Amino acid sequence: MEQEVGESLIQLGNSDGSNSSSSDPVTRVRKLLFRRMLVGIKDGRFFLGTFHCLDKQGNIILQDTIEYRSTRRSSPSPMEQRCLGLVLIPSSCQNSCHVDCSVEEQLSLLKAKMI
Amino acid sequence: MADKPVYEEASIDGQPSKLASIPASDTTVWADASPLLQAACAGLRDGELIHGDNFNLFAAMSALEIMDPKMDSGIVCTYYSIDEAIENGAAPIPISLDSTIDVCRTIDIMDHLLACEAAWHKGHSLAQTVFSCIYLLRLDRTAPHALLHSYCRIIRATCKAVVSVVSDARTHEEEDLFTLTYGLPLNGDGDDKCLSILNAVEETISRQLRACKATSSKRRLPEDLEPLQSNPNLEEGFCKALLCRLRFRKHFFHVLSCMKRPQGRGLESARKHIASCLTELESILKSADFLRSCFDESCEGDIDDKTTASGFEPIGFDAMLNSRLSAPTPPRAIKILSWKKAVEYFVKLLHDLDVICSYSLDPHLESLLRFVVQFQKSQPDLVARSHLQLLLVQDGKLYGRDPFFAVINKAAALPEATKNHDIQKNESFLQLGMLVMNLLKILCTNAAWQRRKLGKFLQDWRVIYVQLELAFRNEYGEVSSSSNDENTCMKIFQHILLWVEEQTFWIAFRFLILGFELELYSTGEYCMVYWYLYAVLIKLAEKTHLMMAVSHDTAKRKGKKKKDSPKDLARESRIPPAVLFLQCYICLAEGLTMMLAALRNEIPVFHGPSPFNTEHEKFVQHFELLQRACIPDHVSYLSYKESTTHARFSTLAMYNYFKDAQRIAKEVKSSFSNDPERLAELRKLEQVAEHNSVAQNVICRLGALDPSLKVSFEFSHHPFFATVVVKRS
Repeated sequence: MEQEVGESLIQLGNSDGSNSSSSDPVTRVRKLLFRRMLVGIKDGRFFLGTFHCLDKQGNIILQDTIEYRSTRRSSPSPMEQRCLGLVLIPSSCQNSCHVDCSVEEQLSLLKAKMI
Repeated sequence: MADKPVYEEASIDGQPSKLASIPASDTTVWADASPLLQAACAGLRDGELIHGDNFNLFAAMSALEIMDPKMDSGIVCTYYSIDEAIENGAAPIPISLDSTIDVCRTIDIMDHLLACEAAWHKGHSLAQTVFSCIYLLRLDRTAPHALLHSYCRIIRATCKAVVSVVSDARTHEEEDLFTLTYGLPLNGDGDDKCLSILNAVEETISRQLRACKATSSKRRLPEDLEPLQSNPNLEEGFCKALLCRLRFRKHFFHVLSCMKRPQGRGLESARKHIASCLTELESILKSADFLRSCFDESCEGDIDDKTTASGFEPIGFDAMLNSRLSAPTPPRAIKILSWKKAVEYFVKLLHDLDVICSYSLDPHLESLLRFVVQFQKSQPDLVARSHLQLLLVQDGKLYGRDPFFAVINKAAALPEATKNHDIQKNESFLQLGMLVMNLLKILCTNAAWQRRKLGKFLQDWRVIYVQLELAFRNEYGEVSSSSNDENTCMKIFQHILLWVEEQTFWIAFRFLILGFELELYSTGEYCMVYWYLYAVLIKLAEKTHLMMAVSHDTAKRKGKKKKDSPKDLARESRIPPAVLFLQCYICLAEGLTMMLAALRNEIPVFHGPSPFNTEHEKFVQHFELLQRACIPDHVSYLSYKESTTHARFSTLAMYNYFKDAQRIAKEVKSSFSNDPERLAELRKLEQVAEHNSVAQNVICRLGALDPSLKVSFEFSHHPFFATVVVKRS
């Protein structure tokens, strides 16, 4: 399910019927700017912020970032959070990257897939 | 519509439930963007960025880089949280089931806490130092361990008291790490009872000590008392080691409480506690030999570097656990002071506090200013300086007792009766009171901050002088009035105007000489600095002399009307010793200016400042604040050049200012026989004068002829008057 949604994101541009040549990944990622993004890193922490910048190496800059971490090594455990501001997450320590996506977007993506 | 994120079962990082606990929102879900981002990265050109309109590369460089140890304070180290650390046994209670080891480790914790406390006082953050102690972070769980509990309680209360003193003083602007507690648990319920808790523990150990001494002398035990620990041979040593540590903490807490009492009422008691603290610190140092020898194993590494008396690493400390509580970025790695150095620090702190407590609360501003300047010579740390400031300025009054107008009244040699005059309600006089208060606060800060503040302060003093002068002219014009009260007002204005001028030049003088202490002047700039110092000193001496003449008049009028004896007349015409003292400074300044000017004019290699700035630019840089405040008037780079352009070895040979300085210093010594501080200063001035006089003779005779002559300047005899050293290279 997640894979398909992921792939649908790549095809995001298609849902408004625009030319496929204009929906190259760079343009589509540009459309993700200022959206809430959740980046998981290798030591288990998560960073939630607004997507601010991406470079060719895959380093991500987030704005108004909140850091989430668990208080115990083993799960389940309560999460702690604190505010960090502007944060740069090098691609080398990234584990996952999710974007806040409205359910309509998700549904319309499913529709597009079905066609 | 899903209102929960979809990924309960999704495998993300092998931690399925984690993502679920970070909900997106009511109407959104988390969608995996990694494949899209990867595709985008492949499509970007080298150096191309995807960013929005609000993106600024310069601002982006301030972003915290995750997983960089210098910027990311959340990097997971040993434990994820304090609670996890405790669950994993990082701070066990009791520390050991073997009571001997338990006592030994407790002493180690006490010693390390002392070292942390000293490191904190010296300028590191509370979180990295004292509160790196897990026992302190969760103080309540130490309740079953009476010794540790009472010690932690009093440490917490002490830290809180010290933070409060430094915050109240607000002298810490450059050491602002000190008062930021970042949510550390400094406020404890029942900490006001910490002394009684400590006393109870002290009492128990005292009895245990008596008991073990009684056993060794085969006397009967008066009561059934459990010993401190299980090894009878070590009982006495451990009891003593603990007692001096507990007693030190008790007396130190008392020192802080006594010094906090208003109007200096607690100073005498504080001195007694300071003396006790010093005694206990000595015992603490002596206990180190016993603590190091009580176990067969010796610690590795240099004992002098260790933070405990025994040399063993303490249990229950982790500075990283708190790093998230500090600012967003991790603090710089710090080194906790060694235990020996920590004890030395506290000894010095106690001596500095003792000097403050011995102060007589002199109502004379002039002696107070000299006391503060003298105190600062020992380079007291923040905690001592804050205490001094709080003693001097309380509730907007001097020592919490004397209103500042009364203080100024006395300093300006006005009769006692005028101190309650209504004129003090005048806006300008109110402001003047504030300026004096601020001056005292500034003089208690560290040298760098002090100089900066004093420089800016000059403007304020100049402005108040102008305001007062204007008010004076508006009220009284040029006509002398007949009314008594108007006469008094006129007199107040006249005295105070003169006094303000004197104070302003004193501040300028202090501003200039602090530059030497802070090593702000390069050798090529000494000439202009001494020249400016000379200009300021001349005015200071002039105003001081006038002030003394005016105060003599006041004293005369106070005294009975009788014919002046010849002795009185003679005394009047002599220059007062305080002015002669300044005269000595003036001669030294002038001598150094002329010598430096001659060297610069005659020997090419001495040509002033570097090729980067012209001499004029350097002059402006150093004296801008003074020039802006017109202190003194009619002094400029041009007048400096005029004074020094014609200096030559031949002109230097004609007049030896240093000999003058020597003579004056000798003469005026007898007038200060009761003042050890000024006597010491005069001795230093004599030495500088003597050395420089000789050096000047050598330079004049050989300077132009011998190119191998090397001239250098050292502050070996006096902090701001250089001794000229002449060598053949």
